[in-house]
Amino acid sequence: MKKLRTVLFLAAIGMITLYSARWMPLNAASPASPAKVQASAAGAPGSSSDQAVAGGALFQANCAFCHGRDAQGGETGPDLTQSKLVAQDIAGSNIDIVVRNGRPEKGMPSFKFSDQELASLVAFVHAEKAKAESNNGRRRGVAVSDLQTGNVEAGKQYFNGAGQCSKCHSPTGDLAGIASRYQGLQLEERMLYPRDAKSKVTVTLPSGKKIVGMLAYLDGFTVGMVDASGTYRSWTLPNVKYSVDSPVDAHVKQFPKYTDADIHNLMAYIQTLR
Amino acid sequence: MKLLKSIFFLVLGATVCTLALAPRVMAQGVDAAMLLNPPADSWPTYNGEYSGQRHSKLTQITPQNVKNLSLAWAFQTNQTASIKSTPLLVDGILYFTVPDNVWAVDARSGHLIWHYHYPPNKGDHIGNRGVAMYKNWIYFMGPDAHMVSLNAKDGTMRWNIVVADSSKGYWTTEAPLVVGDHVIAGVGGDLDNLPMFVQSFDPETGALQWRWNVDSAPGLHKPITGGTTWMPGTYDPKLNLLYWGTGNPTPVLNGTARPGDNLYTCSIVALNPDTGKLVWAFQASPHDTHDWDAVETPVLVDGDFNGRPRKMLMQASRNGYFFVLDRTNGKNLLTVPYGPVNWSLGLDKKGQPIPNPAKDPAPDGRLIAPEESGVTNWRAPSFDPKTGLFLVSAHPSYSLYFAKPSDGDYGWAGADYGLWGKAAIEAIDYKTGKIRWSHEVGRNRGAGAGILTTASGVTFTGDAYGNVLALNTSDGKTLWHAGSGAPVSNSPMTYMLDGRQYVLTGSGGVLFAWALPKTGGTTMQSARSVSKNGRKPE
Repeated sequence: MKKLRTVLFLAAIGMITLYSARWMPLNAASPASPAKVQASAAGAPGSSSDQAVAGGALFQANCAFCHGRDAQGGETGPDLTQSKLVAQDIAGSNIDIVVRNGRPEKGMPSFKFSDQELASLVAFVHAEKAKAESNNGRRRGVAVSDLQTGNVEAGKQYFNGAGQCSKCHSPTGDLAGIASRYQGLQLEERMLYPRDAKSKVTVTLPSGKKIVGMLAYLDGFTVGMVDASGTYRSWTLPNVKYSVDSPVDAHVKQFPKYTDADIHNLMAYIQTLR
Repeated sequence: MKLLKSIFFLVLGATVCTLALAPRVMAQGVDAAMLLNPPADSWPTYNGEYSGQRHSKLTQITPQNVKNLSLAWAFQTNQTASIKSTPLLVDGILYFTVPDNVWAVDARSGHLIWHYHYPPNKGDHIGNRGVAMYKNWIYFMGPDAHMVSLNAKDGTMRWNIVVADSSKGYWTTEAPLVVGDHVIAGVGGDLDNLPMFVQSFDPETGALQWRWNVDSAPGLHKPITGGTTWMPGTYDPKLNLLYWGTGNPTPVLNGTARPGDNLYTCSIVALNPDTGKLVWAFQASPHDTHDWDAVETPVLVDGDFNGRPRKMLMQASRNGYFFVLDRTNGKNLLTVPYGPVNWSLGLDKKGQPIPNPAKDPAPDGRLIAPEESGVTNWRAPSFDPKTGLFLVSAHPSYSLYFAKPSDGDYGWAGADYGLWGKAAIEAIDYKTGKIRWSHEVGRNRGAGAGILTTASGVTFTGDAYGNVLALNTSDGKTLWHAGSGAPVSNSPMTYMLDGRQYVLTGSGGVLFAWALPKTGGTTMQSARSVSKNGRKPE
């Protein structure tokens, strides 16, 4: 039990680290230069709408398939008008990086646009965001208020009973304050499957020596970990034996067991953990 | 003058010698007979031949020697778009694409012969799956729902026709299919509520020969939009039937705006290729509300089913069901899920899944398996006749689906979010639908490689991490792998040239040719070829 706790704690640390790592470089972007600030006004009403129009054409050709014609989400891609990354974007400070580098881990390819093209795309996304927000009350997408159909008491029962959540989680431990850190859809997605949870791996060398670390890479041919000192190490398979301890797999096993009511009730309960 | 004459004869002599050495005396292109029985040194259609089995008769590469497979050459497109096309091979030249681009490349060395660049356009650039060829002409779809015909010799354009109005929201991504004197192509575009169709064009002039409308079921109260036809079909020459898949209805997630089954969306249809007349239809997802196209390859297999010889059609469909049909009449022989499926109430008399209304997208969300990209998608499956295995690139997955009145009844009309999925190559026993083996190729993530099997018992595919894989078809065990720097993004193909079998895979913007090392006096040319093609191909 203690071991499990430790693993969970480590997993939680890992999650936080990964989370900060993903966002920090974006948030830590240097203050926008005057030229960039000017460009950021493109999304504001009454400014360079030509730029947003040009960006719209590029968006339709390259982005709309996944993010929808109006950037409010579609096949695979998230609603950009409700994206935290877009909300914190200053004149492309966040968007440029994502478009240029892609997000291979999430299936988003990188794109080669000129600075001018990129600026127009950014203008379009900000214009669509402004449009969506002016439509408040009737807007598309998942609002926090949509996810309030569950019953707290039934959710608590599920947490401690059929859902077996309490086997690994505690409302006063790892989940304390979770609903203050995440809301709405983001909270529900994390509740169902925290995709950045870390797994522990134990590698047994031919000598019998065991090395424990956080799983960093695994395909059929190589196992990689970050060991206790923070160093990345890898081994060729099958030269070593390994075992993965992945508590998050319990979430996968739960998928076939949920009713939709279970999910809504559980969400109601989790939202009380502020 | 005399000198000139000598030069002329020398040149003539050299030309004759060169021609005599070539395996097919002259560049012959593609004709109807060749399409019915493609030679080993060709791959003249998207799936290699009409059945869609993607099963090669080549046996040089075997389970025993595949461990020696190495790089023959690589070709750099220098594009950010990944290669989703399966190259065609005709007369020693490969033709393949990414959106707006066609390359002709020497199949022996991987060096560039020509590069065609389609003019700038506003069409959807989501992908391009390759070209079709007839005689010495290439047929290529622009993102803006145009078809162009190019001269296979030099890539010059012969004509450019409009197949649908891109300003309304149509686009095209597919490799057309040539059947007889027809170049057949569908359309894409479900961001808008648009009627969909399959069309046939004259290979010489591009003139429209026929159009089959998805929205053509008798007794429809009002027009049905959607049902994109974005993947090439298959063809049975004896029955003279063309098999094509159709996509989801629109609005996509909001089904209340379009009550009923929404025929013929999410269907497998059999058409007469000469007239475009419907012969039969089977609906894989009646009244779909989850974006599950039924455009995955309708694979044609002749074999035993329940003790009777049958002409079958098999599809591992995006909605999670594996279907076996009698392809003479569309009657269902088998319907079995091959991954998690939680959206149906069972099967109807026709063997079609019955959608559960409680699993329609809703304001507070519904947990749905599979996710919207399906248990499989467009990457090609393969059928191995020896083992009776249908191999599919599978993505068991779960997701949340939402729809509410303010999402409206146009286009996507809702929202869905993938929660979890993994990737596996699954080998389905076609007689029972049971999964005989499953080889995981992506832990907590999807992969995307298509599948090729060979008569020697080797399966070629890829994993989610960038490895090209050769598996043993009988048990799924890995026989060989090579890191290619990005996940395999197309469906592999193979061919034999000068006595050497090549296997081609695309990862990111690079096309790789794999072969066994040359033996006896000939030299390895891989390293040289790679560096030669490291330059920008323009």
